Amino acid sequence: MSLTEIDVIERNNEESTMTLSMGPQHPSTHGVLQVMVKLSGETIEKADMEIGYLHTGIEKSAENLFWTQAATVIERMDYLSPLSNALCYVLAVEQLLGVTDRIPPRAQAVRVLLCELTRIASHCVWLGTHGIDLGAIGAFFYAFDVRENILDLVEASGGARMHPNYIRIGGLNGDIPRGFLDRLDELIEKFPGRMVELRTLLQNNPILRDRMIDVGILSPQDAIAYSVTGPSLRASGIAYDVRKAFPYSGYDSYKFEVPTRTEGDAYARFLVRLDEMDQAMAIVRQARGRLDTPGPVMVDDPKIAPPAKETIALSMEALIHHFKIVSEGFRVPPGDVYQAVEGPRGELGYYVVSTGDNRPWRVRTRPPSMYNLQVLKAIAPGNLIADVVVTIGSLDPVFGEVDR
Amino acid sequence: MEMMPGQFLLGKLDDAARWAQSSSVWPLTMGLACCAIEMMSATDPQYDLARLGSEVFRSSPRQADLMIVSGRVAQKMAPIIKRLYDQMADPKWVISMGACASSGGVFDNYAIVQGVDTVIPVDVYVPGCPPTPDGLIYAINLIQQQIREGGRGGIFARA
Amino acid sequence: MPSPQTPSIAGTALDPTSLRPPIADAEIIRVLPAELRARLISLRDEGLAMLLDVGAVDYLERDPRYDVAYHMLALSPAMAGKGPVATPRRVRVLVGVPADATTLPSVADLWPNADWAEREIFDLFGITFEGHPDLKRIQMPYDWEGHPLRKDYPLRGPAREATPRPAFALKSNVPAGAPPAGKVAEALQRQIARARGQAEPVAPKDGDAK
Repeated sequence: MSLTEIDVIERNNEESTMTLSMGPQHPSTHGVLQVMVKLSGETIEKADMEIGYLHTGIEKSAENLFWTQAATVIERMDYLSPLSNALCYVLAVEQLLGVTDRIPPRAQAVRVLLCELTRIASHCVWLGTHGIDLGAIGAFFYAFDVRENILDLVEASGGARMHPNYIRIGGLNGDIPRGFLDRLDELIEKFPGRMVELRTLLQNNPILRDRMIDVGILSPQDAIAYSVTGPSLRASGIAYDVRKAFPYSGYDSYKFEVPTRTEGDAYARFLVRLDEMDQAMAIVRQARGRLDTPGPVMVDDPKIAPPAKETIALSMEALIHHFKIVSEGFRVPPGDVYQAVEGPRGELGYYVVSTGDNRPWRVRTRPPSMYNLQVLKAIAPGNLIADVVVTIGSLDPVFGEVDR
Repeated sequence: MEMMPGQFLLGKLDDAARWAQSSSVWPLTMGLACCAIEMMSATDPQYDLARLGSEVFRSSPRQADLMIVSGRVAQKMAPIIKRLYDQMADPKWVISMGACASSGGVFDNYAIVQGVDTVIPVDVYVPGCPPTPDGLIYAINLIQQQIREGGRGGIFARA
Repeated sequence: MPSPQTPSIAGTALDPTSLRPPIADAEIIRVLPAELRARLISLRDEGLAMLLDVGAVDYLERDPRYDVAYHMLALSPAMAGKGPVATPRRVRVLVGVPADATTLPSVADLWPNADWAEREIFDLFGITFEGHPDLKRIQMPYDWEGHPLRKDYPLRGPAREATPRPAFALKSNVPAGAPPAGKVAEALQRQIARARGQAEPVAPKDGDAK
């Protein structure tokens, strides 16, 4: 049946059930999702989902851009944590290039710092919008205030609030600016107070507890069967975190915990994400401590790292390398690699295939939101329609990633 | 409108209607992609769209004045946007927020409609990828200027 | 260390998956389509209970033309409530799909998350999955023709392939070379005149008294 012909309401006279289409334009589906719920009264019997309303052809666009340019479109997949997307792709390409061990430690520390700040920012959006879905509109403003501070830092270092293309193959696009560390210190000092405010507003609110406890329960069996990862998996008891299991960018040298719960309901996922924000700030503090000593932020390989602007006027080799890198990119040796990072939504993976060209041959994304969202088919039935809103919010999907 | 002695306010009814309409532009929650997040950021305390009159974002197109198409428009989504635009009551305005909604943006490919103005008429285009919330606020100011200075809107809600 | 200047094999019949550098990201197993299900089931019995992702690659000149990669991870429900998971085993199962027989057995009955992943591969590559409960398009509209991520499908789609880039240049309703007009342009002209110390252009009309 064609989408433009779907009736919003369809009555099945034999069974007195009703099929209701929620979306794709809906305040609470967190993006463009169409959930077709078959209702008997207010209880859901079946929930089918229709995605693809944001299909952008990012993977095909990436095949037609240079390796560095492809990072710009890939960043726009999970638009709440663009730096995580960029980091995962860049790590995959660095593995193919063989330069993973030569990335300078300062670049690694800044990458970890920004990715954890991005995790906090993404969880702030989740918290704000989840609160709005449940009626707690005030928390949105507190959460977004934290996010604005983080976006100011991202803008200072990368140039743009949301898609800075700052994490580059080989390191970073330039060092962090003067004043960055002072503003970061202010945020680090202000953050625990903000978290206390957010927790006070939401965590023990009896209405929120009533709406989230025992709603959308995800059993570990279902979680594994649907390959749910991230906070949703950890709220069901399985403490799998890519940063601990397959460390990258020096994560094995940072001390942090992986919050886990066993109940598997929406409230457990809520608490896991709140705890993750605290843990992310702990990592940010440790990474901040590594940035006091200056150092290079780009690998010293002239074939992949553009030379410093000052040297281009003085050195012929620098000029030629700059010209080649900017006009035709660099070539990556043939091969395929699967690189995973722990994004705010779960295991984000890229399966990158190179044929030795200056463009990727294929960038297949392993989108955590797509698999996290699919589990709604299994856990929505039996709940009320209001609980679907809570469940979708607690799974935290981002449709740029689901549809790509 | 001018203030007369004896505290009468004299003016045209149309101007009063336009003043009211421009001071309470309520957008539709048409958030598609990254620009939607910046649209949400425009309502946060740092930028605060509510002080310009956009106190609430209405989810129902029947109750909204302004459709902010924020994000890339995929092939599947285009007929939905047209349907939502048709469902909005007159007078209505459209902001095409971001490069993707204005012209396809970075995505010149099979999947993205190259500009939402191929589907619905647009009043203001906002460049950026994504535009900062300042850009969106300027666009809403331009819409308010358009409402006050003629064209659609007014006492008869001319479409 | 491989040099970034090694020649490209794009467009040749060579297989990048056999030329890969020694990266320890996963154990790689290559199977034929007929042995796919049996191999995945035996891997699941060895402990790799999670099917992370199913993705396809179109190699165009290589025979078999397509590769479908099944990424598996050794997580199991028994780990619930126990401590942090140490490095679980990762396996990548690669299946070559020839261009004249683009079909594979579906694993959606074994792993329910393969439902959407296989629909996406069908939508974007045209590989059908036998035994799939409801194989229809997922990303493109149902009546779309063609499989966009195939290498012979043009990037901009067949309808726009021949139109010049950028597309918006065709849409302007202002003829080329026309001087800027409108309130904003007039305000800008006034501002420029003020900055240059010249006389400002006359304001066109008096606005309504407010």
